[in-house]
Amino acid sequence: MIGIAGYSVYVPRRRMRRELVATAWGAPAMPGCKAVVNFDEDSLTMAQSAVWPLLQSGGADALSFASTTAPYWQRSAASLIAAACDLPAQTATADFGASLRAATTALRASLDAVAAGSVRTALVTAADCRDGEPESAEEMLFGDAAAAVCVGSEGLTAELVASVSRCDDFPDEWRRDADTHVHSFASKYSLTRGYIENTVAVGRALFEKAGVQPQQIARAALASRDGRAHIAAAKALGIPAASVEDVRAGDIGITGAPMPLYLLAQALDRANAGDLILAIAYGDGADGLLFRSLGGGARLRTDRHAMEYPTYQIYRKLRGYGRTSGGGTEISNVLLRREEAQNVRLHGSLCPQCGLLQFPVAKVCRGCHRHGGLMERPLARRGRLFTFTKDFLYNAPVEPTVMAVVDLEGGGRFLCQMTDADPAAVEIGMEVELVLRRMREGAGDHYYYWKCRPV
Amino acid sequence: MAGSIKDQVAIVGVGCTKFGDNFDQSFEDLLVEAGFAAFADARIEPERVEAAWLGTFSPYAGNGKASVSLADALRMYGKPITRVENYCATGTDAFRNAAMAVASGMYDVALVAGVEKLKDRPMRGLGWENGHPYQHDGLTAPGVFAMAANRYFHCLGQGFGAGREALAKVSVKNHHNGAMNPKAHFQMEVSEAQVLEAPIVAWPFGLFDCCPTTDGAAAAVICRADMARQFREDYVLVKGVGLAVTSGRPWYDSANEYLGFAATRAASEQAYRMAGVRNPLAEIDLAEVHDCFTWTEIANYEDLGFCGKGEGVHFIGEGRSALTGDLPVNPSGGLKSFGHPIGASGVRMIYEVVTQLRGQAGARQVRDAELGLVHNLGGPGSVACVVVLGRQ
Repeated sequence: MIGIAGYSVYVPRRRMRRELVATAWGAPAMPGCKAVVNFDEDSLTMAQSAVWPLLQSGGADALSFASTTAPYWQRSAASLIAAACDLPAQTATADFGASLRAATTALRASLDAVAAGSVRTALVTAADCRDGEPESAEEMLFGDAAAAVCVGSEGLTAELVASVSRCDDFPDEWRRDADTHVHSFASKYSLTRGYIENTVAVGRALFEKAGVQPQQIARAALASRDGRAHIAAAKALGIPAASVEDVRAGDIGITGAPMPLYLLAQALDRANAGDLILAIAYGDGADGLLFRSLGGGARLRTDRHAMEYPTYQIYRKLRGYGRTSGGGTEISNVLLRREEAQNVRLHGSLCPQCGLLQFPVAKVCRGCHRHGGLMERPLARRGRLFTFTKDFLYNAPVEPTVMAVVDLEGGGRFLCQMTDADPAAVEIGMEVELVLRRMREGAGDHYYYWKCRPV
Repeated sequence: MAGSIKDQVAIVGVGCTKFGDNFDQSFEDLLVEAGFAAFADARIEPERVEAAWLGTFSPYAGNGKASVSLADALRMYGKPITRVENYCATGTDAFRNAAMAVASGMYDVALVAGVEKLKDRPMRGLGWENGHPYQHDGLTAPGVFAMAANRYFHCLGQGFGAGREALAKVSVKNHHNGAMNPKAHFQMEVSEAQVLEAPIVAWPFGLFDCCPTTDGAAAAVICRADMARQFREDYVLVKGVGLAVTSGRPWYDSANEYLGFAATRAASEQAYRMAGVRNPLAEIDLAEVHDCFTWTEIANYEDLGFCGKGEGVHFIGEGRSALTGDLPVNPSGGLKSFGHPIGASGVRMIYEVVTQLRGQAGARQVRDAELGLVHNLGGPGSVACVVVLGRQ
């Protein structure tokens, strides 16, 4: 039996109310809000945050990253995520992109790899932060999020029943190599010929392959293009309306590649043992997967820290920040490589003599000054604020910058910026977690490092 | 540590530029002005100087790198010159090294010069040059000391941002003193309300809690004590020196309580022992201490032994460090009024103590000044240098 052993989602804390976007452009408002990345987040950091909780109960042999907005054309985000998750070098990493069904394609590949016996457990993490052109419908619709699943053959919460794919080079939404925004033919023709036709075709093929009737589907995770079309697709497929998962267009937005994974996690979370769960992703064709719930799914964590952007201007400024602030320091790969253990894997050193766990990795103990024998150890990614300041001098896109000294659980003291926090609510002793974030842009590269944020 | 240079080295000449936005002066101009002022003050021909120490922190635009910066400015060629860089203790450490060289018998006469040209640079505050490219990103000089100040006030049982009134008193005092000093960058009084209402730089520090960025230079001519009378009668003797270094990354030290600076405690112990100072509060008549930020001065009171741990707030509150108090601190106006051209500061503070011990400080003169202290604290509180100076 193969299937899903765990699932997790990550929604950035920032929210943008669509009404503010509409007001900025004098356009009619769409309802609700969308989740959007902070200035120091991208698809890589969100995907790392999504997948990290899945590693708390065991390791993995493979990790795939799926996104249409990967921060690199050439450099494996999956490999960087694997390092930030402290996975070993023999981890099989892969990057999937280009299509909005990149996550389900990665999921199918991972299920196949486990079924073939080449890996025991495989992680799939997907994220997107797509930017709609200012004043476009996409700008209102698109939201940012990440979702991850763990594929395996033991400790499953759902087993795979069947999966199918189809390809269809139908140009309804695309982004060329040099484009920053998505282009689309938004028309009824696009919806019916592209989205509906492919979704229904892959759904029917899946029902036929699995020998099930549409009425038997308890939960349908149908990725949507616009927050509405999936309802029409479900109806055409004969799936009961009550079984269709809310695509979260109203409070998160149309998130792109991670959407089918997010909806699958949501469906698994709500499913009872025995329920049939359908997941379909559309994009240049479609992927369909059918699972049977085995119950016992972990409840998805609810992040109660949502922070609304007060104005559209601030949102726009921060949205472009990471992509326009280049010209910083260039770092040699000699230094980057040597410091990977401490700066990416978050390792410190444990002194065999006095037991002090310390950051960064050291040869001589900071506490008892013992030379030699210090052991490299991972640091906990949670802790309490020892002291901090709110700095207005540092040149940051939002002021103040909260600088924090954190005492980590189990030992080690760490210095980092705080993010995703209301400066007025920061206080000594508060509980924080370390999160991977994009730092000030370097001369020719992105730099990722750790920040803390309130739990 | 058995060695001592007490009473073996004399300061016979000092010079100091006006500190400020010296837009029309180059790095070399500053060095020439301070250096030749010190030569004139010592009534010495520059050729008699046998060796020189240059204290400068941050090379920029071709100046400040290595010893050649001093050689070219003063046309002092063919002699031993050493550049010293030790964070904000650069100036005092340059002095300490020169004093030890003279005490060793190696040189009879030496020059110490501290200089920094910060205002040529297109940046706010003091950059974190050559630091790790992202590990400490977000950390600024005020931020480093602000994190310590917040912990300090937290441990005193006060909430975030409390203690700002005590901090303001340091600013008011130092600006008051600086208003009487024609060489200070800012020669103006400020009120407590002004300090408290100023824009925040890094909580709990507002604009008036921070020293400005400034250009300046200062210099001193030193010689063997037994030949000081060749130059002047009112020479000043080196009584004690101390230098101590702790971690440059104190934020990773889980034993660090953030309540003060061990480097200052260790450096002052060394200097007090050499000088024979047992009760600093009773014996020292004035102190020029490192007030890069107002809270630093409060921590210094405690670390230098002027008062007990946690009592610094009362020490300023009761006016004990005022010009009229029992231990005037920063009678010059401090870094608060002078700014902090890094390499220049320590030598500039020595200039002030020498001026006070000679009784030439005018309106800000401390009465009956016999023994004075100079203190620098560099980096994130990691490098402390203390010099005790006395009248012969």
